[in-house]
Amino acid sequence: MLDYKYQDRDTVIHRLTPWSKLGWIASLVLLAVIFDHPVYLFLLFLSTIPVIAAARLTREWASLMKYCLFLCLAVVLINAIISQNGSHELVKAPFSIPLMGNLRITLEGIVCGVGNSLRLAAIISAFSVLILAIHPDDLMQGLIKMKLPYKSLLVASVSARFLPALLEDSRNIVAVQRSRGLEFSSGSKVQRTRNYMAIFIPLLSNSLERASQLAEVLESRGFGSKRRTFYKELKLTGSEIVVLISALLPGIFGIIIYSQGFGSYDYYPALEGIGFMGMEAICLIFLLFLATLVVFTALVKRRTEID
Amino acid sequence: MIRIGNLCFRYSGAEKSALRGIDLKIQDGEFVLITGPSGGGKSTLCRCLNGLVPHFHGGKIYGEIEVEGLDVLGRSPGELAARVGMVFQDPENQMVADEVEREVAFGLENFGFTRSLMARRVEEALNAVGVAHLRHRSVTGLSGGELQKIAIASVLALHPSVLVLDEPSSELDPKSTEDLFNLVAKLNNELGLTVVLVEHRLEKVVRHVDRLILLQDGVILADGNPRQVLSTAQLYQSGVGIPAVARLSHGLMQKGIDYGDTFLTVKESRSALEKVFRERDYRPKRDIQDRFSPKPKGTPLIEARKLQYAYLDGPVVLKGINLRIAKGEFVALMGRNGSGKSTLLKHFMGLLKPAKGDVVVCGLNTKETDTARMAKDIGYIFQNPNLHLFADSVEEEVAFKLKNLGFDDREQERMITEVLDRFGLTEYRGRYPRDLSSGEKQRVAIASVLVSQPEVVLLDEPMRGLEHRLKSELMESVGRYREDGQTVVLATQDVETVAEYADRVILLGEGEVVADGDKREILSEALLFSPQINRVAQSLRNHGFPQDVLTADEALNLI
Repeated sequence: MLDYKYQDRDTVIHRLTPWSKLGWIASLVLLAVIFDHPVYLFLLFLSTIPVIAAARLTREWASLMKYCLFLCLAVVLINAIISQNGSHELVKAPFSIPLMGNLRITLEGIVCGVGNSLRLAAIISAFSVLILAIHPDDLMQGLIKMKLPYKSLLVASVSARFLPALLEDSRNIVAVQRSRGLEFSSGSKVQRTRNYMAIFIPLLSNSLERASQLAEVLESRGFGSKRRTFYKELKLTGSEIVVLISALLPGIFGIIIYSQGFGSYDYYPALEGIGFMGMEAICLIFLLFLATLVVFTALVKRRTEID
Repeated sequence: MIRIGNLCFRYSGAEKSALRGIDLKIQDGEFVLITGPSGGGKSTLCRCLNGLVPHFHGGKIYGEIEVEGLDVLGRSPGELAARVGMVFQDPENQMVADEVEREVAFGLENFGFTRSLMARRVEEALNAVGVAHLRHRSVTGLSGGELQKIAIASVLALHPSVLVLDEPSSELDPKSTEDLFNLVAKLNNELGLTVVLVEHRLEKVVRHVDRLILLQDGVILADGNPRQVLSTAQLYQSGVGIPAVARLSHGLMQKGIDYGDTFLTVKESRSALEKVFRERDYRPKRDIQDRFSPKPKGTPLIEARKLQYAYLDGPVVLKGINLRIAKGEFVALMGRNGSGKSTLLKHFMGLLKPAKGDVVVCGLNTKETDTARMAKDIGYIFQNPNLHLFADSVEEEVAFKLKNLGFDDREQERMITEVLDRFGLTEYRGRYPRDLSSGEKQRVAIASVLVSQPEVVLLDEPMRGLEHRLKSELMESVGRYREDGQTVVLATQDVETVAEYADRVILLGEGEVVADGDKREILSEALLFSPQINRVAQSLRNHGFPQDVLTADEALNLI
């Protein structure tokens, strides 16, 4: 089974500090949130692909995107049914539902669902770099250097690592209770809640047990002392600063053009045209260029390091 | 040097003291093994050495503890970490970082070492335990044995003078256990590290140690050279798992045969017995048996036909298994980790459905039957009783299965009373199951499965991490349950238990049945899966000693 955790590959993207990667992800996620225009969102999604490819993560990414596709289909479907504000009616239900009237499926409802799916795909795709290409220990150290509290970060990172163990536990507990004749789908509501307690209580008490064991480990390895050092150094070298800036540029440029009124879009009551004026088209192409710029600066950085 | 003087400790809220007047001196470079029944204070004593007791756990403490001239009671565990390295039971729960290298560096980081010194220490520690090749791997995905070695490396990096290990092998398979103890012995031998090891399975480690201490009810009952302690009556009464060869020499002593010192290894017992046999001109009480009765016939209760199975996107785990188990058999399913034992056992319960082929149990094809329905005829007992327990009282816990299966109240009452009586739980009927001791919890878990009186009992490595007394209690209750002709299938790697209790052994390797037959046939030819006593017997062939002897008692009956 493909699991979605850090994949150790020796690529230019993997060699970047966590800050550069975080900067790029933050830029793309920010833009995906502020822009509404489906073409913008689609281009944002496309611009994540060169980064994924440069990190040699296309296989894991493709498998993640398969799940994303199901999610998108659900978004389109739900949006088409729920949103009733469109003006171009495609289908109308012959019966009426209380409070909602006769359901109508409109062109606007579907297109709006597609637009939001693109937004979702762009965000998930950008986040896949966070999950797959940043070593969890590097991520933690990067965040510590950003003056976030160390102890809380350690707790967060350790809990993330316990997740597989928790899943394994819950699988086993479900197997145990099923072999004690438990059926999850039968019985009254009270009975069903009780059934879930048969899973939940052992899971909870096992996790508490794990937590207290871990606390003992931390205690006996001198955790919590004042002057702490770090085994691996994360440093912002000159070339790394260049990469970091190139990673932040798309975000900055995007905010500027957004403030000029670009990238907004209204689906309702009727779809707007998607033609671009000359200036907007140029800005959009430039934004696409900036969003993938990080791949080039990372390559250049690698070059300078070798020389 | 470790010096403990008149140490008493009671956990807050506990009725009984965990330690009652411990006096102990451990010299530098000694390898000390502490053993005893669970609940006897072993773990508590360990935790006193690095201050987790009383600083972390809290409670009332009297007496003195001094490690390397430092007063433990006046210092925090963190301060003591550089002197006393502590390795715990569960390998997974000890990992703090994701990358092996950084895990090892974690303690050094906490003490504020410089980067260059850390690099050196990490390198040394990784090499000392032989895991340097794993340095860039993630700790998730490593085996329990590897993780335990990494845990040792992480404490070694701090250059402690004492290494304390609290039942480090209880989650490991026999092979990794042996590796781990060999490593600890090497560290003790070559680095002069003082080692305090808590363990209730003595077989794999006792030959390495200088000193054996028996701790029971918070008191030291025996302390000394392992050969001496292994022949004391207290040790036999305590229920600790005594190595089969030591039991053999104990038995010889009772028969009045002079054999020299207590045996710790197969090699020692081999040469001593050889000498005894030569001097006394031994005549075997029975001949070497070469033929074994063919497989028992009868209606197959469990049948697997061309069973194949693979986990999602994973490799094929079962590659065409054909087997039949008849009513009333006691079958041990053996094989190393990853051989498919557990996967096969889950198929018998219908928890996994065959990808190809069929599994028929008690006349039900698992492909067509829901697990909840199979639960009436089949009971599945998992390794960890904590996975079973959730109810407010033992009675409810046991009644859960009956309710699910729809028994009426009168019948429920009768069956609960019967099962509680059978497993000696009547007095705990109203108690909260999770508050019970580990042995009692184990019995509640078993009772909660066997209450419906299933025809087939499946046990998935139930002995892992269990001390000897509980192990034999468990096997005896399964034995009692079997009196009415029930069938038992046990997945395990514990050769000695199989030798004592099972009838038939099925050996799995890489998802295929490698060997299947009478336990005497399979276990006495095996290199890896043969009990200690059988290895002794093999070398006494010239004297006409039967080659299919598996346990110490059997061997003693023939001498």
